[in-house]
Amino acid sequence: MSQAGTMTKPARVINGPHVRTERTTRWVMLHVAISLVPALLGAVYFFGIRALYLTALSVAVCVLTEYLWQKLTKKQLTAGDFSAVVTGMLLAFNMPVTAPAWVVVATSIFSILFVKQMFGGIGNNFANPALMGRLLAMVVWPGAVMQYIAPVTLNADAVSSATVLGAVKTGGEAGYSYLQMFLGEVPGALGETSKLLLLVGFAYMCYMGIVNAEAALTYIATVLVLTFVFGPAGLFTGDILLNLFGGGLIMGACYMLTDYAFVTRRGRLLYAVTAGIITAAIRIFSIYPEGICFGILTANCLAGGLSLLNKRHIYGTKKSER
Amino acid sequence: MQKKRKSVFPGGVHPTDGSDKALSKDAAIKQYLLDTVTILSEQSFGGKCRLLVKPGDKVKAGQLIGEPEAFMAAPLHASMSGTVLDVKEVMNQGRAILACVIGRDEEEAEGSGAGQTGIAAAYRKEAADIRQISREEILAGLRDGGLTGMGGAGFPTHKKYETDKSIDTLLINGAECEPYLTCDYRLMLEEGYALLNGVRLLLKGSGAKQAYVCLEDNKPQAAENLNEILSGMRKSGVMEDGEQIEIAVLPTKYPEGGERQLIQAVTGREVPMGGLPADVGVIVSNVATARAAADMILGGLPLIRRIVTVTGCVKEPGNYLVPVGTSAKELVELAGGVTVEKNRIIAGGPMTGPCMASDWNGEDELFYITKNTSGILVLPDSACEEQPCIRCGGCESVCPAGLTPWQIDFAFQQEDYDLCEKLYASECIACGCCSYICPAKRELTLRTRMARDAVKQRMRERAVKKA
Repeated sequence: MSQAGTMTKPARVINGPHVRTERTTRWVMLHVAISLVPALLGAVYFFGIRALYLTALSVAVCVLTEYLWQKLTKKQLTAGDFSAVVTGMLLAFNMPVTAPAWVVVATSIFSILFVKQMFGGIGNNFANPALMGRLLAMVVWPGAVMQYIAPVTLNADAVSSATVLGAVKTGGEAGYSYLQMFLGEVPGALGETSKLLLLVGFAYMCYMGIVNAEAALTYIATVLVLTFVFGPAGLFTGDILLNLFGGGLIMGACYMLTDYAFVTRRGRLLYAVTAGIITAAIRIFSIYPEGICFGILTANCLAGGLSLLNKRHIYGTKKSER
Repeated sequence: MQKKRKSVFPGGVHPTDGSDKALSKDAAIKQYLLDTVTILSEQSFGGKCRLLVKPGDKVKAGQLIGEPEAFMAAPLHASMSGTVLDVKEVMNQGRAILACVIGRDEEEAEGSGAGQTGIAAAYRKEAADIRQISREEILAGLRDGGLTGMGGAGFPTHKKYETDKSIDTLLINGAECEPYLTCDYRLMLEEGYALLNGVRLLLKGSGAKQAYVCLEDNKPQAAENLNEILSGMRKSGVMEDGEQIEIAVLPTKYPEGGERQLIQAVTGREVPMGGLPADVGVIVSNVATARAAADMILGGLPLIRRIVTVTGCVKEPGNYLVPVGTSAKELVELAGGVTVEKNRIIAGGPMTGPCMASDWNGEDELFYITKNTSGILVLPDSACEEQPCIRCGGCESVCPAGLTPWQIDFAFQQEDYDLCEKLYASECIACGCCSYICPAKRELTLRTRMARDAVKQRMRERAVKKA
């Protein structure tokens, strides 16, 4: 008879479901970081080895800041989840190769400490930390981070020059072909020059199922349509390819907008359109040539409000067809 | 050929690649009768029965040993002929439940009682003539046979069928969308006649116009087998004109077999909030329940046995036909024992089944098979730490109920039950999709379910105050 014996209880509380996807936050962020590698290699090719140094510095400071903060405040340690690595890479990608190291360090600390951790860490940041870092640098050290030089591959002297969009905005010539813009052989921030390599990375993320391309495409389409319709020389005179390849639109759409800041599908599209409208408005009406940073950050801040417009269908609320 | 249906319930996940079911899907049903059974007086949560026997009593298989004491209860029967050895409390998921231990008499041959001998076997091989059986007789059979849902929460079957709502559609649930489980699949393959005769009885009992036997498209042989048997039955001439039965093949997606999702997928209707399937004219019963209906009404055998899949990290995964009350420990032993030391033992499927033990040494008692235990699953134990939510929206996109689990999670942790209610926490079906998909490994299902229970409790309290 085997009725004796005590019933076992789980040693600790184990909650179902007992199968979970293998994907973790760490896995997701690691693959985002991997997808940025082609653009990083491109940056080294176009701007020299200093591009790598700056990126490594930025990543190291971001991760270290996060680690120290979590240690000191005795918070759950998540510095190893690669999200700070991604922030560090994106931050460096927004800097020109001439940016002083101390500016990179300062913006990295600012991004992680003030934008991310002080709002509760990963997931709780109200805006993209890398974009906020860029904003800070633009406002506080404009001279240091808005000085772009031509790629070393052009054998030009390392004199500062405007980005393509910047040059056109101030009434000048683009000076570069669309192909050069697409490949990345133009002056600009480290990571955002080569649209090709950014798109390769983005395609990789889409393939791995990490991001949904909808928001990025919606954002790009919104900006292109508006800048085309309200062109510099009147209605329907905008230069679509220039707006697409000339600045940081692709970088913003692929990596900044899709930072996990927004959740639902309809909300995401609404959010992308909002960001697009603001970006386009800045490109058309303001003195700034880009508008990516402001557009996305504004949409970041509006995300909470936008989510109120997003009604979900709850099972059981449908009137019966019967 | 069978027309495939489009899945029309939103969300859902594909938790496994099919290798899980492959472990036991080709293992034919084996019948076992062990020396003792321990029959819980509460077969499913809230289904309490008063035991009618005392130690020393002789009982026959199928003899009534427990009378329902609660709304959720169905009559309870001895699952084996023998002697009542003990009536004692056993622990089940942290609660002490009175149970009746029956020891098999020496002279009782293996295979008697809960086995298949002694039952008029015709209905297991051909279309039964049910023209002389009235609806009342069927309902009485469901009640007296102690039938309960055998796939889910174990709701008494007769209570579903005795509804005063008008029913037009009967769904027989063979989706078996939980990974690993194959008991329903084997049933559809091996007991197709008994199953379909049961469906015919349930159709008549429900008064519905149409019955669908629903299964996922990862079980093509089962669909083929049932279609073949069905067309044979149609030709036999004993089927009545009104018996509209169709085999519905649905896309494989978890939780296709969730009652509400199945209704949505097949009929396009939604069970209203706080309502029952009958409110939209539907009754859903498991395939095993349909088979039990045939056993009772055509074979006189109450619900005292069921097929249990024993699978995962065991030497020989398989499907076993055993009496209710069989020890899970002994069943695992029959399957060759566990193959991993750091394990967790799950009653049922991995998505919704509760964990009954971890790091099980193979010696302690685990739990006892009840009418709704579809499987014993052994999985390697792995701990994972909860990380902060990254707002990826994964849980929202997979929730079949359309909820926002991450928001409910936050609201619940802040004990903001008003917000939980506004977020419709009450509509959680605890399917597990949100926890499955979460990259931060948050215990979303656990807390959303707790939020649901808290919100429902508040709703009840409000209703009482009003009244």
